[in-house]
Amino acid sequence: MATAFTPYSYIQCPCSDITLTDRRSGGSPTTSEPDGDDHAFDPRAPRSSFSLYPLEYLMYCEDCHQIRCPRCVAEEIVTYYCPNCLFEVPSSNLKSEGNRCNRSCFQCPVCIGPLAITSVETKPDPNLLAAPDNSATPLAGPYALTCSYCLWTSTEVGIQFDKHNGIHAQLAKLRNGGTTRLTAKERKERRKDPSYKGQPPPTDSQDLDHEAQFANLKAFYQGQLADPNAADAGLALLGDLGFSSPTSLSRIMSIYTGGGLLHDKKAKARLGAMREALDPDEGLLVASLDESAAIAKLRSEGLDGTASAAQRLGQAPNLVEPPLHGRERFLDSLRPVPHLLRTKRSKRCPVCRHIISKPESKVQTTRFRIRLVAGSYIPSISVRQLALSGGTGTGTSASGAAVPGAPLEPLKPAYFLLTFKNPIFETIKVTLGAPVTTPGRFASRVTVICPEFEVDANTDVWDEALKDNAERDREQRRRRGESISAGGGGINSANQLEVGKIWERGRNWVSIVVEVVPASLALAPGDPPLREDEDVLEIPMSVRVEWEAEMAGDEVGAAPSRSNSEAREKRELAYWCVLGLGRIRQR
Amino acid sequence: MSSTPAASSTPLPHRSVASIRAPSVAGQSGPTTPLRSISSSFGSPSSLRADDEIIIVEFGTRKLQVGFSGDPAPRGCIWFGPDQLRRAGDFRDWQPGYRHDWRSAAAGGSWGRDYELWRYDVRSVDLGLVGDKVERALRDAFTKYMLIDSRPRRMVWVLPSSLPVPLLSAALDSVFTRFQPPTISLLSSPLALAVGAGVRSALVVDLGWNETVVTSIYEYREVATRRSIRGGRMLVEQTHNLLAKHLPQGLEGDAESQEHVLSFEECSDIAQRLVWCRPRSTAGQEEREGQEEEDAAARSATVRIPLTSWLSPTTLELPFDDLSEPCETAFFDAQYTLTSFDDDELPLHLLVYRSLLQLSLDVRATCMSRIIFTGGCSAVLGLRKRIFDEVSRLVQQRGWDPVRGKAVEQLLANPKLQRAPAAARRPSNTPAAAPRAQDVGEERDGVWHDRSATPAGPYMEPETDPIEEQLKRGGGHSDQQPPVRGELRAIESVGAWSGASLATHLKTMAVATIDREVWLLHGAAGASKPNEVDHKVQRQSLGPGGLMRGSASGGAWTLGVWGAV
Repeated sequence: MATAFTPYSYIQCPCSDITLTDRRSGGSPTTSEPDGDDHAFDPRAPRSSFSLYPLEYLMYCEDCHQIRCPRCVAEEIVTYYCPNCLFEVPSSNLKSEGNRCNRSCFQCPVCIGPLAITSVETKPDPNLLAAPDNSATPLAGPYALTCSYCLWTSTEVGIQFDKHNGIHAQLAKLRNGGTTRLTAKERKERRKDPSYKGQPPPTDSQDLDHEAQFANLKAFYQGQLADPNAADAGLALLGDLGFSSPTSLSRIMSIYTGGGLLHDKKAKARLGAMREALDPDEGLLVASLDESAAIAKLRSEGLDGTASAAQRLGQAPNLVEPPLHGRERFLDSLRPVPHLLRTKRSKRCPVCRHIISKPESKVQTTRFRIRLVAGSYIPSISVRQLALSGGTGTGTSASGAAVPGAPLEPLKPAYFLLTFKNPIFETIKVTLGAPVTTPGRFASRVTVICPEFEVDANTDVWDEALKDNAERDREQRRRRGESISAGGGGINSANQLEVGKIWERGRNWVSIVVEVVPASLALAPGDPPLREDEDVLEIPMSVRVEWEAEMAGDEVGAAPSRSNSEAREKRELAYWCVLGLGRIRQR
Repeated sequence: MSSTPAASSTPLPHRSVASIRAPSVAGQSGPTTPLRSISSSFGSPSSLRADDEIIIVEFGTRKLQVGFSGDPAPRGCIWFGPDQLRRAGDFRDWQPGYRHDWRSAAAGGSWGRDYELWRYDVRSVDLGLVGDKVERALRDAFTKYMLIDSRPRRMVWVLPSSLPVPLLSAALDSVFTRFQPPTISLLSSPLALAVGAGVRSALVVDLGWNETVVTSIYEYREVATRRSIRGGRMLVEQTHNLLAKHLPQGLEGDAESQEHVLSFEECSDIAQRLVWCRPRSTAGQEEREGQEEEDAAARSATVRIPLTSWLSPTTLELPFDDLSEPCETAFFDAQYTLTSFDDDELPLHLLVYRSLLQLSLDVRATCMSRIIFTGGCSAVLGLRKRIFDEVSRLVQQRGWDPVRGKAVEQLLANPKLQRAPAAARRPSNTPAAAPRAQDVGEERDGVWHDRSATPAGPYMEPETDPIEEQLKRGGGHSDQQPPVRGELRAIESVGAWSGASLATHLKTMAVATIDREVWLLHGAAGASKPNEVDHKVQRQSLGPGGLMRGSASGGAWTLGVWGAV
């Protein structure tokens, strides 16, 4: 609240409007507010924050002539890459290796800084005479991950590495504290390996970590679902014959067993005959409920020994431990966090499937091949406070600029200059509509002085400069309030406020004035206090933009006649936007 | 069976093909490859649909977990919070000096409400907002953790089975319109937990955020549910009260009014980090005494807690033992007698005991040795053991007799009224006696007939279990030990999400599978009651391709346990 307020404008994507009414009629009977044409968009409603976007977030589909927000585009992935090492990850790896970088990119679990691989052994001091002459050779011995920012090292949680490369694979085999474990792959190999068949695999419940339990359960269920006899006799041989393709198999089966119904029954009978897992090899893990050691640890270490919510949230899913049940709160259960991969995405219009944004596929470049941002298709709105002396009504004159960002006085009219800038090469006609009072608890009065105006095309700057003087003069006069027909008073009315007149006009921009009377923020005794940002004067405004554009070539059809240049079609675009004008002063 | 030796004696390949035709082998359901992804083997590799990737979403009140089926753990987890409610491009969280004004946000009894996705009391819930929250959380998760594009993918949702239909409907509406999944299957989380523990029956104690739900699962069916409002929310409230009590100036009578003096975020964080649960106090008094002297020094340990959301930042110093108070009050409330609680606020041990008590004997014997603790509050250190011990003690004291009170005691004490069978009743009330009680019951057949009116009488004849029989006959696993029954035992599950991932990976059909087109046409009103749907038809239409076109062509569909409108 101490910082000065910057006026802003948000645009509501029309896509959310459709679903809003759609849902209201269909799903929820509780929202019983009457639905009519006159219902103004309420920027205070909690739902509005899901549909409002700054102009910079919006895209535009040239073929549908519609705004596309992040919620209504179809995305495709161009590349996957690690944000730390910028290595491009093939998409096939993603399924098997997961969504994190499996090279040596790790984040500090305490402060999210990058971790570096260092040797645990300290370098002998070269000043010592006794030091052997090995300063040139790289340090050997166990390695650890260290954070250069907060000086956390993985030795704090008992993790050390033998080699300085392949950290990700080494880490997967280590538990906190340094005990080793079998990875899923090793477990699978061991299960297949005949040399291990005789001896039972480790059945210690301490050893049954999450990944292992899941793998055991999976193997157990698969074994239960597949008939063991069939797998021994029939399937093994069939596999040699090339009949292992499931489609051919099921076709043959349905021919020979006489119809799918019978088959289905059998399949169900088989499903029913599944038994339970009985031991850790099959995934059954009896819980150890004794947590007194953890409580004692909590008692001795206190708050400092526990990880904060953000630190726990940043952790990757811990697959290498048995269920922790609260012991993940301790700092020594934190593990280095492999970097999450990121993607570059291209975006398509969901309706016409045209690409509206496509980045370069190379990771290092930040350029885009195609990017149809809404800012180059719809007028931008900028807001500035205007200080006018005197009372309300017409004929007041401006007296210098107001202090930007200062709070608005309640119940005292204030004036704001809205500048609409036209980015396209056609003249646009803008129609504004705003409710007389803002919705919400504190209803301020809003008057748009000039709700309908035209903004000139975004012509080349040089065209403007090269026009001869007389023409420019006439142009300027036209701009200053369209007063050619009304007589000569137009030019010096630059600082006059008149209903239906625009304030100022430029090459491709128009400024108009909005008068607001901020509501008083006085609260009745029983009222709940002001919510965050409830003191901001926000006005909803429906914007309708009309322009005439050349017909697109393919729409004209097979006869590209000379009337092509004259064939112009009318286009329009309507949306709600929200203008944040300023904070109202609180008593 | 007859053809199996023939096949082995003549190893010619064509003979083994012929052996499929032999009815005896077909009786064992023949060669199967049920675990292969079939849909990918025929048809063109469609680029518009990613059929093989099934997304599993687990909904909780405070978080949402997302991942692919077949993975051991979810790829990402999104917590709901007030920063999720901000507009796009609102970066004030990162501004220096900005602090979330929790006081005004918490006004009107909505302390902590921003941190929840929904409340089950749908009267006060904006359903559209729920849909928006679900959408934004899913979109975040897909972009940040799943790294997937927006091709339609099938989804499996893991939901608490007590989720009200309006909330489910709002979430489905939002996801069907925004993400275009061809189908969404619904799985109940207790069931998924049972699958994830490798058992067919279980007693799932979900120490959740809204409430604690005890669900009994028998042969993959939910047979009974009991709930108590003692959950995570109450724990955080109690933590707040504890901290508020220790604040320097006290509260000057504010404790009665519902005013909160600390932010939800801070209280929740402290509840997760520091709150613990005392072990049961009465048992093993003498050994504990010795222990107590031993760590008397440790007992006086204090914890320093820095608080920033109070009027002025301060540091509290309170005894470590006090930090078990919130857990005590929230979950046990031991200072009141057990009869003083309402039905919806039973202390947890009583809740678990009553849930077991209301089950029939066989189901109880199976469930009591498969207790699964889950939910956010199972992370409170010592809570699981405490509940377990309290339940054991209750069973020891009372046995499985639903009738209690002074009259019963008088009856038992009265020698005149005591008949011979009553004497035999006492030993059967010892804990973990379900299998033994059966033996007794068989011996005294007359008694069993007398007492058959009581629902949970201990002398029921063991029913023959067709599935057990089948297993014994066909499986050849006669050497396996019989399943554990009748003793209290807690087991671990890989979790509801992972259980659902397993079930989906093994191509298990969900009872409730909703087709997108049908949903957009009818909404929740189109769902039939679960028993009106012929699952066989649905299963067949699934076919080898796994495509759910059958339900789109007018077949009935259901929302399963989530009911119908």
